[in-house]
Amino acid sequence: MFEFLNQPEVIKNIVIIGSMLLFFIGLFGLLTRKHIIKIFISIAIMETAIFLLFIGLTVKLDFIAPILDTAHTNVSNMNDPIPHAMVLTAIVIAMSVLALGVSFAIEYFKLTGKTNIDEMNEMRH
Amino acid sequence: MNRRKISIKRELPTATLSGFVLSALLILTILNILLQNMPHKIETAGDLLLKLNTTEGVANAVTTVVVYFRGFDTLGEISVLFIASMGIGLMLRSNTKCNIKSESNFMLQTASKILFPVILLFGTYVMIYGHLSPGGGFQGGVIIASGVLLLLISDKAFEVPHSVIVALETFAGVSYVLIGLIGLLVLDTFLGNFLPHDISQMGMLLSGGIIPLIYIIVGIKVGSEMSMIVQNLIKRSDDV
Amino acid sequence: MTGFIILSTFIGLIIVSFAAIIQKKIADSIILFMGVGLGSVVLFYLFKAPDVALTEAVISAGISSLIFLMALKHLGEQK
Repeated sequence: MFEFLNQPEVIKNIVIIGSMLLFFIGLFGLLTRKHIIKIFISIAIMETAIFLLFIGLTVKLDFIAPILDTAHTNVSNMNDPIPHAMVLTAIVIAMSVLALGVSFAIEYFKLTGKTNIDEMNEMRH
Repeated sequence: MNRRKISIKRELPTATLSGFVLSALLILTILNILLQNMPHKIETAGDLLLKLNTTEGVANAVTTVVVYFRGFDTLGEISVLFIASMGIGLMLRSNTKCNIKSESNFMLQTASKILFPVILLFGTYVMIYGHLSPGGGFQGGVIIASGVLLLLISDKAFEVPHSVIVALETFAGVSYVLIGLIGLLVLDTFLGNFLPHDISQMGMLLSGGIIPLIYIIVGIKVGSEMSMIVQNLIKRSDDV
Repeated sequence: MTGFIILSTFIGLIIVSFAAIIQKKIADSIILFMGVGLGSVVLFYLFKAPDVALTEAVISAGISSLIFLMALKHLGEQK
């Protein structure tokens, strides 16, 4: 019944449209929400969408994961390892940068008692 | 007249509507670009690296790309991680000793003593077998840090000693650069694989030359930095 | 069947992330964000990337939720 969804072109279009929708849901939250934790959550959703797009663009579903067996050197039916390696490090870096931003927000709250970004206007005058 | 205009403007949620419109315009533009130029060329970019990977004798191709072909970038990335950890420590420093307000649950205290060695063992396994199976230094380091998190929330008096973290992190950073410089001396490339890496040994624990060694070093560095981030976040919350 | 699973997981991810954005309470928002991490783990596994799936599972279950919950404990629910 759903056999037409298994074609490579259809899967690629699903990946592109789905991850772009996810990215722009995150951008919508970043532009319209006011609480600072909501803004960090929006940034994290945008990062997840970028990782999904990066991996999904090069995937071939009938190929295997890029891990060889013992003394097995046939690499003709393996997926591309480069996006995996880049996303692997990017996830860890994104998490640590998120922790740094949250620690800034905590210190700012200790000093001023504000969480709404519309009220953060100390530098305006 | 003027007042009515202002009231109309206040009734409409202008921020929400402008966010919707901007998101819709951008999504249409980027979807157009992505769907028209279907990326046929980038699909074959990794084939050369996959062929080169078999000469290194490492089963997991992702490990080879992270540690060997992009080893210099990994050095930069763990430096970024170190700087982020340092910034969190600077932001969330707590001068006062944490006062014990409430003991944690009895079940949590007992279960954490049983679970912590298992989590530590699993993290070490993921770290050491990174060149044979899915996993590696980044994942293993974060698993060990989550074990430290379990100890921190169960035992209020527990604290990772700062001198141990400093020693581990210094050892890991210095030995990463030293291994790279030895490769530069022996093979004329930074991070050259100067240890024996025979293709017939693939799948064994001792295979791949310097690649599992460097991933263990990355795991030690990531684990200590993540433990410091977790400890700073939790200890600061105690002295509210 | 794989294409159907990928499509339905994407639809679920979009619904959960939109719900996480528009929630009034911050705690509900954080819990729904953990659902986003779970769905992306499933998708990474279906895309033949077990390394990335392991990393995302460990990060989103262990550290990322801790960061947001600690931020919630300090900043509170006001406004």
